[in-house]
Amino acid sequence: MTTAPNNLPPGGYVHREPSALRQALPWIIGVVVLALLGWLGYALVDNLKDNQKSFSIFFVERGWVRFLLFLLAASGVLALTSLLGQRIGMARTGRRISYAAVLGDQLTHLFLILVVLIAIYPLFYVLIAAFDPRNSLFAFPDFGNPNIFYKTGLLPDLKQLNLENFAKLFEGVTIPAWQLLLAVIGGAALAATLISLIVSKVGRDTDALANVRAWGLRVLVAALAVLVIFMGPAQFTGGSNESKFLLSVRNTLLVSGLTGVLAILLSTTAGYAMARLRFPGRFQMLLFFIFIQMFPVFLALVAVFKLLTDLGLGNTFAGLILAYSGGAIAFNTWIFKGYVESLPESLEEAAMVDGATRWQTFTRVVLPLSRGMLVFIFLNQFIGTYAEFILASILMTGVEHWTVGVMLRSFTSGQFSTKWGVFAAAATLGALPIVALFYGFQNFFVGGAVAGGVKE
Amino acid sequence: MTTLSPPRSRTAVPPQGSRGILLALLILAALMGASVLIGWLLSTLAAQVVPGAPAYLLLVFTVVSLLVLAPLTHRAFPWITNWFYLLPALVFILAFTVLPVVLTVNYAFTNYSGQNSGNPDSAARQAATLSADRRSVTVPGLEGSAQAYLNCAAPSCAGATLVLYDEDASVPYRVKVTSAQDKTFTLAVPAPEALQVAQVTRVNRISYVGLANFQEIFGKASRALWPVFLWTVIFAFSTIILNSVAGLILGILLYNKRLKGRNVYRTLLFLPWAIPTVISVQMWVALFDQQFGIVNKSLGLLGIVAIPWLNDPLWAKISILVVNLWLGFPYMMTATISALSTINDDLYEAAEIDGASRWQQITGITLPLLRNSFTPILLSGFAFNFNNFGIIYLLTAGGPAQEGRESTAQSTDILLSWGYNTAFVSAGGQNFALASAIALIIFFLTLAISIVNFKAAGVFEEARK
Repeated sequence: MTTAPNNLPPGGYVHREPSALRQALPWIIGVVVLALLGWLGYALVDNLKDNQKSFSIFFVERGWVRFLLFLLAASGVLALTSLLGQRIGMARTGRRISYAAVLGDQLTHLFLILVVLIAIYPLFYVLIAAFDPRNSLFAFPDFGNPNIFYKTGLLPDLKQLNLENFAKLFEGVTIPAWQLLLAVIGGAALAATLISLIVSKVGRDTDALANVRAWGLRVLVAALAVLVIFMGPAQFTGGSNESKFLLSVRNTLLVSGLTGVLAILLSTTAGYAMARLRFPGRFQMLLFFIFIQMFPVFLALVAVFKLLTDLGLGNTFAGLILAYSGGAIAFNTWIFKGYVESLPESLEEAAMVDGATRWQTFTRVVLPLSRGMLVFIFLNQFIGTYAEFILASILMTGVEHWTVGVMLRSFTSGQFSTKWGVFAAAATLGALPIVALFYGFQNFFVGGAVAGGVKE
Repeated sequence: MTTLSPPRSRTAVPPQGSRGILLALLILAALMGASVLIGWLLSTLAAQVVPGAPAYLLLVFTVVSLLVLAPLTHRAFPWITNWFYLLPALVFILAFTVLPVVLTVNYAFTNYSGQNSGNPDSAARQAATLSADRRSVTVPGLEGSAQAYLNCAAPSCAGATLVLYDEDASVPYRVKVTSAQDKTFTLAVPAPEALQVAQVTRVNRISYVGLANFQEIFGKASRALWPVFLWTVIFAFSTIILNSVAGLILGILLYNKRLKGRNVYRTLLFLPWAIPTVISVQMWVALFDQQFGIVNKSLGLLGIVAIPWLNDPLWAKISILVVNLWLGFPYMMTATISALSTINDDLYEAAEIDGASRWQQITGITLPLLRNSFTPILLSGFAFNFNNFGIIYLLTAGGPAQEGRESTAQSTDILLSWGYNTAFVSAGGQNFALASAIALIIFFLTLAISIVNFKAAGVFEEARK
């Protein structure tokens, strides 16, 4: 693709003006896009023509003018403060500082703050709604309140907040003492890990601290695993769907965790062979894996459904896990192959010279070196499975087998009984483990984002 | 072969060339085939011995026999070890990806549906009496011919299946018919002693219908296929453009090392990515509500009338793009930041010395250099969104309804959700065969996109390395 053209003169590069059409192309595309956008905007506004003002929404006439004025005023203030900042900075450092750069940074801050507000506010709103017993995602705003933010319903009435929605999620849940003990142990391990993390960030990182972190994580994972495996439907005696929410979290954790483990077990050996072993058929096999990877399992949804039903795995976690794993292997193999290729081959050669077999080299040299990659594969698979909806909704029937996504859907899709308060509470609790994982292992995802276009 | 030339057949060096590939595939196929056969035999045996043995024993027995046979194969062909590294993945892919795909292709040419499912038709159940020799069944209430009742080709109905029930109609007993006359069916084998036959019914077989499903799809193309395909492409394309533009702007702004607190912004803007989409998309349904949603409440503050976000065919499309932008921009932002960190700072210094403005630096250095790392991301994003069923189903479920469309292909349905509706939503009548035909069309489109994708990303070169 990048081979140099061979008709170059000895001197090398010769500049040729692109043709007129080539030069005009960006402009033509721009005009067409603008025209399309204009037409779209017209159609959208046209759809709103006979829209009445809603009785449930507080309306400020020409509010956008005020908003623009506010932005203008804020920019004006920033222009002044930047001038001040520039002068002070120049006086302090004695170097020339460009006014445009300072103002640019200030305006960037203003822009980013607005973006963050718009992006994060919905989440904040749902979080507050979780604590509001009045179904506030779907409630009238407080028209009588003089404060404009309360009047429009943008800010919640903090006095009303309580834990009623959460209580509904835990109604009739019985937890035996040993599970409580495990939960306490897990919590303590988490606390120890976090504290040692903070201490190491603040002060010096020592081996002892790293040890505490490693063991804390291990204990936490072990406690969680035992809890998830041994928690059962019998513990949930509440009559309503929402009282089984914790069970759905447990189901999801079980399915996602096992899928993650299976993904590692099935894809590491294949990835290693693709990267290091040279045998006829390797390239063809790799191509086969790559193409298989492109087909989402749910394209063959009907067949998967039929296959699992015929195998008697229709409404079981085992069936769901098998279906997920089938779709996960090819991709993870590809990722692991790329990782093994980035490892220096000399280590393995040294081991082989010392008399290790291929398999020993793989288990004793390559696997320990790729611990970070295995964590990434597990997490990526875990998070992906956690967020899956279609297969789970089709294969799993009966509230006791539902995953979090299916459970949440049942709160919102009832025609006359949407339980938005309960939904908000459940969404908050259900998102918590994944958000924690995501921030805890942020670097894995940031690194992986470019490595292979990992997740959209 | 065994004694005379052991070094030749038991060498650890694999046969080279395409002969080697074929031989290896043949051995693996034989190994897996034998395992499945043994597994099937054992599970049938188990079902005979213990009635009600679970069907998944087939899987267990197959895996066990694979574990037993693999070392034996290895003893005969030592060079096959290379392939054994691939075996776990291969077995899984064959069983849970390739087999369903093959079945899907197969279904696409049948009439498989909720009704024609190969199960007894409970709606056609009729009272019946068994003769004394237990060899024939008479159905007094039969209207029309026996041939029409059993849907069989030959008038004698030889080989067709009849289902016998007792009074409770709980356990179906299938039996072959040798001949059918008037209202009496002669059975191939006598009905078992334990069965008190009280009712019979037919089996709705799955039969091949050739290209009928594709004819149906293309016959109604203007009501389903074309508009849905168009929207799928527009959706995937606009999403990827919107997301990458937003991600590029934020990424370039946040990469500015002078900017204080950029890590705080980054951490906060990460949040939409961190929350599982299955939760956040459902959250947006509440936020986009026309009467009570916070989006319209906020717009009211700006003096904008309530927008029918999810209730108008055109606005629903905009909502989907907006939510997908919200979900996807953190990823694009992160990708931009990572890609920017690979660009050498010297380039900017040189440009600055030459008097290039910040804007010229972005258009002259940043964007051209980002193109390389962004091309594969954009293409895989397009492929992903082409089949992004989750957001469509959870946000609008394909709706709102649009005039002149099939009930399974509404205003925001993409190809995949159209297929899903056809198979699993009551409006589609559980037409599994038609859904499989749709899936087949999506297969080919995805394949085409993938090939372009891989070519651009250099995957083939990387694989050949």
